[in-house]
Order: sequence, then structure tokens, then C-alpha cells
Amino acid sequence: MTDKPRIPVTILTGFLGAGKTTLLNRILTAQHGKRVAVIENEFGEIGIDHELVVSTDEEIFEMNNGCICCTVRGDLIRILGKLVKRRDRFDRVIVETTGLADPGPVVQTFFMDDDMKENFVVDSVVTVVDAKHVLLHLDTSDDSDEAREQVAFADVLILNKCDLVGPADLEDLERRLRGINALAKIHRAIECDIDLNHVLEVGGFNLDHATEIDPHFLEPEDDHDHHHHHHHDEHVTSVGIEADGDCDGRKVNAWLTELVRTQGQDIFRMKGVFAIAGNPDRVIFQGVHMLIDAANGGPWGDRKRANRIVFIGRNLDRKALNDGFRACLV
Amino acid sequence: MEIRSIAEIEASDHVLGLDWSHDGSLLAVTPASGDILLLDADGRCLASLPDHGISNSVATFHPKEARLATCGTDGKLRIYEPIRDHAPEKEISVGKGWLETLEWSPDGFHLATALGRRLIVLDANGDPAHEFAEHKSSISDLAWNPKNPREIAAVCDGGATMWRLGEGEPFARFDWGGASLLVEWSADGRWLATGDQTPSVHLYDFTRDYPLHIQGYETKVKALAFNSASRSLATGGGRLVTVWPCTGKRGPEGAIPKQLPGHDADCIALAWRRGCDILASGGADGMLILFEPASSARPRAQYDAGAEVAAIAWHPSAPRLAIGTGDGMVVVLEIPDLAK
Repeated sequence: MTDKPRIPVTILTGFLGAGKTTLLNRILTAQHGKRVAVIENEFGEIGIDHELVVSTDEEIFEMNNGCICCTVRGDLIRILGKLVKRRDRFDRVIVETTGLADPGPVVQTFFMDDDMKENFVVDSVVTVVDAKHVLLHLDTSDDSDEAREQVAFADVLILNKCDLVGPADLEDLERRLRGINALAKIHRAIECDIDLNHVLEVGGFNLDHATEIDPHFLEPEDDHDHHHHHHHDEHVTSVGIEADGDCDGRKVNAWLTELVRTQGQDIFRMKGVFAIAGNPDRVIFQGVHMLIDAANGGPWGDRKRANRIVFIGRNLDRKALNDGFRACLV
Repeated sequence: MEIRSIAEIEASDHVLGLDWSHDGSLLAVTPASGDILLLDADGRCLASLPDHGISNSVATFHPKEARLATCGTDGKLRIYEPIRDHAPEKEISVGKGWLETLEWSPDGFHLATALGRRLIVLDANGDPAHEFAEHKSSISDLAWNPKNPREIAAVCDGGATMWRLGEGEPFARFDWGGASLLVEWSADGRWLATGDQTPSVHLYDFTRDYPLHIQGYETKVKALAFNSASRSLATGGGRLVTVWPCTGKRGPEGAIPKQLPGHDADCIALAWRRGCDILASGGADGMLILFEPASSARPRAQYDAGAEVAAIAWHPSAPRLAIGTGDGMVVVLEIPDLAK
């Protein structure tokens, strides 16, 4: 009956040993004045005594014949559904995933379950990356798919253990990560010593931020980074599209609908802004797999009417995406 | 029909559950956090019992004696004889993890709880009696068969699994491919109903070994209640209360349910009065509504509780019921017309 503000949720991912627990302990001991509830995975090892740390087995509920886009985390629904009834509600939730977990169902839980949607709002996916060893995970290990997906889902990448890697290698690594995820903010850190505002106040799923796409990453691949261009056969990549002018709203709607219907399982994140013909306002959107959220982004004002979209996913066909969108232009 | 408030008590938090003792002399109040309260039939607080850590889960009375069992997220289960003493007669550390459900068998010989995927049955003194094979995921609810106190159903991802005490394998399993969150067993033992993660209800007819799937709800179904004659199943799942007939060979199959409007927000608690067809419905709109679906779809009486009505418990004999709200109020209400 009361309109309580929704509680922000940070989803913390990263491989074992990357520094997730170090970051969690920093968050829980920092003097930020917030009551934080932590849902840690079954292997979690938060070292401090804290009332609202709950360990859980990651339990996936398949909701529609096993479609990845329709899976949610049953344990989160159960645990958070109970905790949210407490009068002294917490101010924030952090969900720590295991190193091998797919962040998709965690994110989707807060979009697909009505109770979760009513009470919580995903602030961001934060992925802690071990600068020294991440390439092993990305390139050679059996879990390379999971490692790439964790990078791909992130709003924030914390490049941890930077003291163990030389400056040139760090530059290369950042470039490599950018190739996978052009949207994430990258912060370098040692022992996860980082301004917590970069972790807790991100607004990665806030539509107001959907248009904060660095134009640099929308340039064609070969126009930048030519000094240190390495070829990696990434099947998880970012594809940026930028086009001036207006597009046909009905065509865009049909294109996106068909795109997520046919490729939603492989699209991890998408964000963008459209200039729709006849609409004086910007239309902004963001999505996860098959879930798309769109809103009015306010008047264009003095800005040039243009469309900008970024897809992050697996086996994305850059040309087909570009062609598909350009067919929507008027 | 007039509804009179005869007592109001403030609990420490959102009221998760209410339970009257078998003779109606005591009412247990389970708030989300803080002390579990023990009230008398007029709503006077007799005792405060210790909480269960981050959150309490259940406080439930023995079906035939004044024994109370409580559990919560501290993994502990306590048994009290509240008439004699307000200190626990026994405290059992069941394990590391949350105990979210607790139910006495209908004959009072056993007490069932779940710790994650484990369904655990204790005897009435709290000593281990039976443990079954692990379930597919954490058990979210359980229900004893009112007709057979040796049969129990547990629900989780994968639907419902039915066990018999002393047997190593389930005697029935209803896996519909998704997760069930709530379970109720009809008093005649014929029907088992589950409220699911998807906005649906699954209903199993044991007499025909036949599953039914009921869809079309606006939201997840958070409340299920069979009436004491097992003739009707009331379900939430949106603003309308939907009542399904459970009589005849086919029960609800092909039947048109009664839909009861009245709430402006989701129905979240349902309870039939024993021995008659009065249905109490609690809503997120703060309204308690009494229906008599057999005669009319229109509300017979309403009471504005001011905050979501999260729990309802009818007194076993007197014309009164208790409600608990999301802001921690417990109100004992009297309905004089029901005494006639």
C-alpha cells in the first residue's frame, strides 16, 4: 500500500580468486552509512561478522522449456522475498555469484519476477577481473565461455591485481576487454581498493544512462587501436551502430522484436537511443537477452538527431545487425 | 454482516503468520523479525518468545495439544508448552541454513520441516524420525495429507513430491517442468494444489491420478485454501479471488470458476471458516473481505486494516478471526452474525 523506494541490487561476478570477497569485505566495512545485505554463493568466505550475509546454493528455475532467457534464480526470489518483509529493510543488496555462474538468470530475476521487480532494481553488474590471470580464462581454459560472458554482462569491470602486470600488458588487456564489452567502465585496482561509488552507484540499468555510450567505440573496428591491433577470435563481442537521421518506429520495433526472438539467447546486453520519425523526444532502450525496456528520453533539444545502439553478445553478425538497422531508417 | 475489532496488538514487524491453538485459547503471532508473540483469545499478550535470527518463519500449534513449535533462519526449531512455561521445552539445531516451513502431522505425532533440499520429519518431542532423499532444489513448502498422517508432500523446482513415512522412495511425483512454491492438500485427501512460480496452479486428483493445470492468473498465486468440506478451492493470483469447484468426477476440469471481485490490489491471504462456506480474503490493498461464494460473488463484509492483510486465522470455534498486517498490527475481529 505504500510506495517504498526500490532497493538497488549490485550483481558481483568474477572468477574464483579474482578478488570478489576482498571487494565485498571493503564494501561491508566502509563507512558509507548504508545497510547492505549480501547474498553470497555457497563458496563465499566473507571474513567479517555481518548480520545480513546469507549463503545460498544457486538454484535456477527454468520457466519456459529451458529457454535461457526465461530462467530466474529461485533462491534469490525466496531469500529476498523474505528479507524484504523486515521492517528495518536494508538499503542495498549485493548478489555474489560463483565464478562459473551465468549472470543472465540473476539479472533476469529482477526483471521477470513481479515481486522482485516491485521491490528491487538492478543497479549494475560488476565483474572483478584478475589482471594477471584473466587471459588464461579468456583464451585457454575450459571455462572461457563463462569468463567472456561475465565480462560481456558487466557495467563495471574492476581490473584487479594491476600491480602484478606491466603497463603495456594492462593497456592490451583493457583493449581486449573493450573488444568484448564496449559499454563497461573499466577501473584499475590493487586489492580491490577502489572508490565504492564506482561500484555501488553505477545506474547501469537506468535508462537515463542508456545513451552514455562512448562514441569512440562506435567507430568501425579498424579505425582505432591500429598501433596495437591484436587479432583475437572473439565470439563474444560488442557491435556498435551509429546513424544520423530518423528511423521508422514501427520498423525498429519489428526489427528488435525479431532480433531478440531469434538471437535473444546470444545477446547479453544492449543499449541505445533512437530518433523516431515524428517523435520530438529521444527513445532510449536497454535490454538483457529477450527482455527490452524502453522509455522516453526527453527532448532532443539542440542535439543532432541520431541513433546509437550497442549490442554485446555471442556470435553477433556485425553486417547483418547494421543492415537490419539501416533498413529501418527513413 | 458486521465486523467488530475487539483487540489490536502491535507486533515488531510484518506479520508472516498467525495460528490458533486447537482449543482457541491461544494465538501465536509470527512477525518477520523480533519476538514471536503469544496472545490469549481476546488478543492480550501473554508472552514474547525469542526470535530466530535474521527472520522468523513459522510458529504453529500442535493439532490436539497446547504445544507450539517455532523455526526460522537460524536453522533452529523450538518446541514450547506455553501453558506451563514460556521457555522452550526443547531447542533443536537442525542444521546450517534456513528453516522456512514447519507443519505438525494431522495426528500430532510428527513435525516436518525442510532445510534446503532436505525434508526432515521429527517426532512430537523433536527427535529425528525420518529423512528423505534430497529434493531437486530447496523445498519452499510442505503439506501433510489430512486423511493420512503418514503422507506428506513437498514442493520445489520440479513440482510436488509425495512421501510416505518409512519409505525410501516417493509414492508419487508431479513434475510439471517448473517450480512450485505453495502447496495445500484438501481435507478429504483427494486434491493437492500448488501455487507456482509462473502465474498458475497445478491441481492433482489422487483418485484419478490425474493432473490439472489452471492458468490465466494476473500474478503468481500467493494464496490457496480448500474449504473444510474439500468442495472448493479458493485461489489468489491477482485482484480477483477465484473459487474452483472440487466436486464430482472431474472437479474443476471444464468448470467455470466463481470470481470474486472486491480487492483493489492483489489477494495475498485466504482462509475458509471451518464448517461453513465463509471465505476471508486479505489483500495488498489493506482490506479484509468476507465472501460467501455459494450464495453471492459480492463481499458480505469488509474491514479496512490500513496495511496489507498478510495473514488470516479463523478461531476454531468462536465467531472471530485474527488478521496480521504488513505494518505489524494484529487485530482480533468478531463477526456476531456467525454466532447465530
